[in-house]
Amino acid sequence: MSVLASEWLKVRSVRSSYLTLGLSLAAILLGYGLAVMAKGMFDSAPPAQQAKARIAELEEVVVMVPQLCLGVLGVLAITSEHATGLIRTSLTVVPRRWPLLAAKTAVVGGLGLVVGPATVFGTYAVARWVLGDRFSGAYSVPFGARWPLLAALSLTVVVFALLGLGLGAILRSTAASIAILVGLVYVIPIVIGNLPEPWSERFGSVMIGALPREIAGDFPTDSVYGSLLPPVPAMVVLAAYAVVPVVTALWLIRRRDA
Amino acid sequence: MVRCAGRGPRRILDAVIELRRLTKRYGGALAVDDLSFTVEPGHVTGFLGPNGAGKSTSMRLVLGLDAPTSGVALVNGRRYASLRRPMREVGALLDAGAVHGGRSAYNHLLCLARTNGIGPLRVAEVLEQVGLSGVARKRVGTFSLGMKQRLGIAAALLGDPGVLMFDEPVNGLDPDGVRWIRDLMRTLAHEGRTVLLSSHLMSEMALTADRIVVIGRGRLIAEATVQELTARYPSLEDAYMALTAGSVQYGASR
Repeated sequence: MSVLASEWLKVRSVRSSYLTLGLSLAAILLGYGLAVMAKGMFDSAPPAQQAKARIAELEEVVVMVPQLCLGVLGVLAITSEHATGLIRTSLTVVPRRWPLLAAKTAVVGGLGLVVGPATVFGTYAVARWVLGDRFSGAYSVPFGARWPLLAALSLTVVVFALLGLGLGAILRSTAASIAILVGLVYVIPIVIGNLPEPWSERFGSVMIGALPREIAGDFPTDSVYGSLLPPVPAMVVLAAYAVVPVVTALWLIRRRDA
Repeated sequence: MVRCAGRGPRRILDAVIELRRLTKRYGGALAVDDLSFTVEPGHVTGFLGPNGAGKSTSMRLVLGLDAPTSGVALVNGRRYASLRRPMREVGALLDAGAVHGGRSAYNHLLCLARTNGIGPLRVAEVLEQVGLSGVARKRVGTFSLGMKQRLGIAAALLGDPGVLMFDEPVNGLDPDGVRWIRDLMRTLAHEGRTVLLSSHLMSEMALTADRIVVIGRGRLIAEATVQELTARYPSLEDAYMALTAGSVQYGASR
């Protein structure tokens, strides 16, 4: 408990935390801007085009911002200590070591659990307010039909936070960890998209970007990823993205020289 | 110095650091080689040796930061890693620069204190003791090396421990700070604490330490009182030069 209080204070007492968390929430403004642009285009289109017009889920676009920001927050939570050498002091005062990483996991994961839903559901609310029943009612369908996807998207933010923390603890390098994090979101999906079928769809189905729709059971025909996984296995894969690196880090931190 | 009630000196008096046949190998390099010595309470023990002799590694091994290849390091008869509230038994300053520059001095200390159930009152107390009260809310990144040394010493004192280890705490301090450290070390030792202090400043060590442990290439070279050494050699510096002549690894030719 006392280690948790310490880690909570560590996050609260540096500016980078406020920057990453603030930027995450500011993504709602990005969602608002996209919605306003879509509304303008829709309203100025002739009725025949309006009837056919479709809109992408804005939350799916906007969520990349909190994903990366919380990922970076997770990375910095541990690598900033390695970069300065503070980790040695931290491990000296908590010689059992694992409680230190467990407390960081709780703090970083908890922040993801607040910021993820706030950004995703906030974007949804703003888009619904701006767009009304435009785009064949994409944003006026009952909330009950939308929330599973929104909840799954929110969870990816928690996963990125913990993935970042795990990578940071394993690699002990800010640059390497963030490079892998960004590669996972932007580079690897492009590589996989260019693989021959059926491998493109198979690998695409386990990318983080594909999982929220698979979890929600909402399969678009035009997915850039794949959609082979049923909801429960998709949930397991999403959890593994967080659990595997954090557990590996917990195992390593007890064995490595600091 | 203000001491908290209920934490008497009895606990302090049997506080010792004990290295038993301690060995640490990094790949092919032997950093600490079958090193045994004991640091006892009541006086300042100076820890000397050329660069790369294994002083810092020995301290890291005592603190459980690195795992020994063989042998054991004990604090108060126990392995450091088994201590539940380590700050109350051992305080250490290894690297004054090991702080997050964006955090205030007060928050830095409170982050450490919280892990061992130590509260903000004690943080304010040690800040006062090291003379940083006036800059407690300033970001550590703006501190000079001397101020960071004071902050590191404050961190070591947080738990009012019986065993203290300082790795070159005098670096970067002004003459006023050097004298302050000297007085602080001697006060801590006179209170019955065990104080292990490494430094390359021989004249300063001669004024501060009562006992000396000299190591070179990871091995014990000498364990003696300052009096014994200064009786046999013209000065502590001459003693050091003579003792470590064969084990300087990174020296310019003379």
